[in-house]
Amino acid sequence: MKNARNVNFLQVDNRSPQLITKPEVVILPSAEAFAELEWVRRHFRRRPQEGYFIWVKEQIDCPLTTCITLSSPNVFQKPINLIVVEKDVEAEIHGVCNAIKENLCGVHSGYSKVILKENSKLKLRHFHNWGRRDEISSSLDFILGKEAKLSYAYKCLKTPMKLKTKSNIHLEENSSASLTVSVLAKNSKIDMHDFAFLDGERSTGILRIRMVGGTNSKIVAHSRMIASAAGTGHVDCMGLLTADDSIINAVPELINKNKKASLTHEASVGRISEENLNYLRSRGLTENEAIDLIVAGFLGEEDPLIVKGRVISSEPYM
Amino acid sequence: MLSIKNLSVKVNGKKILRGIDLEIRKGETHALLGPNASGKTTLAQAIMGFPGYAVASGEICFGGKDIASLAIEERVKLGIALAFQHPPAVKGVTLSNLLGKISKRTVKTEEFIANPKLLGREINVGFSGGERKLSEIMQIVGLSPKLVVFDELDAGLDLKNLAKLARIIKGKLLENGVSLLLITHRGEILRFLEPDIVHVMLDGKIICSSDDWRKVWRTIGKFGYEKCKECEFSSGR
Repeated sequence: MKNARNVNFLQVDNRSPQLITKPEVVILPSAEAFAELEWVRRHFRRRPQEGYFIWVKEQIDCPLTTCITLSSPNVFQKPINLIVVEKDVEAEIHGVCNAIKENLCGVHSGYSKVILKENSKLKLRHFHNWGRRDEISSSLDFILGKEAKLSYAYKCLKTPMKLKTKSNIHLEENSSASLTVSVLAKNSKIDMHDFAFLDGERSTGILRIRMVGGTNSKIVAHSRMIASAAGTGHVDCMGLLTADDSIINAVPELINKNKKASLTHEASVGRISEENLNYLRSRGLTENEAIDLIVAGFLGEEDPLIVKGRVISSEPYM
Repeated sequence: MLSIKNLSVKVNGKKILRGIDLEIRKGETHALLGPNASGKTTLAQAIMGFPGYAVASGEICFGGKDIASLAIEERVKLGIALAFQHPPAVKGVTLSNLLGKISKRTVKTEEFIANPKLLGREINVGFSGGERKLSEIMQIVGLSPKLVVFDELDAGLDLKNLAKLARIIKGKLLENGVSLLLITHRGEILRFLEPDIVHVMLDGKIICSSDDWRKVWRTIGKFGYEKCKECEFSSGR
């Protein structure tokens, strides 16, 4: 984390975390929250050893940030996190989990439960950045109350040798969730399960999966939308292969248990078109630069290049 | 600046261009006229060095340097640019993002487009014909080229939009001494940019070159491209 001093929760390896609290929010290590707050206990199966508890009680005006880092060799992390956003409250959280070196051989097995109470809103951006010899699993359960809104974006541009992710989103009446997963795999085996459960009337779910299969990579992505109430769901699953030895297995699934529900999906896996590459090369980019630009666009990265209505060269920033 | 001598180009093993000679000097505007499938776009793609356009014989020199073996982007760095007739849609990459990456100089986008929202859109995805042309010209101005090949700039544009593009080309390129090669089937762009030299291509050969574009265009309009085979207006240049 470039500016760790501004991080609200920072855990390095298995050390005690550093905290910066705010008046509108309760931020505690999960173990402490488990000990001090009785209502919190029912959200944990057992006493957590690591991880954070964030309770957003009132509106906050800037994003909260969390960072859980591997910095030493052979560390095993098992953070268990709980985020609760109170009724009618709006919040934004940026969560980073990373390794600061390439060859730490660390293991990070994280679980997070995210509870959005009635009419609350959460924008959660989750960044992973790992060394090539790490093994990572990340699991999240989202519980959305009535009218709650969730925007969840997960991005991993430096993948470990093994990555497993799992997201379950449960939606109550009139709630909505948008999940966007962006993964750029290199020398990795990645297994992703992203499920949304439309449990309430007029609930809306969107699962948007973007995968880039680079050198020596295999990605399996299960994206499932399950409607048991009259909601609307869409699964959008796109893969891009940039290496001959990469495989992407996209498995979008729609399970409809309610005749008033509407579920749709689209999926594609392909290579970067030569026509696009040659077009960008005709603008002076090398083939690798053109691939990077297309991949970055595909994964949803954009540089802020319009300044006061002028488009300026990005070179000084690169 | 651009010197093409006895150039033959094969595409998929079939010879498309047969012994092309073309000399474009600094600041000159040339037009290349010809019917469909005469080889005009093949010449543009060969100048840029696109894969699949194999030089069978002859040479392409730019600034005194043989560029036949250079990659596309190396030719662009030397100062050659191509405005596509049908630029492809590039999903995920916005026009502003590309302009920011490739521009050697600041592009004042408000001088090209009235609606800045175009900059935030994915390149050529859902663009109108006019928007595509403006996008191409903006990118090319950003590249600060020495020679621009415009492939069918006038295709699919009404006269008002064509006049607007021509004004931009004059102000941003010609006034800065940039050379142009205007490839055109219909020839409408000639009225707006008045080339110094006009060439006619038939069956992969330049069969007529003249410094009187009006006469050539009138003749083609009256008799069609077949008349050019007689080449009575050629200056012998």
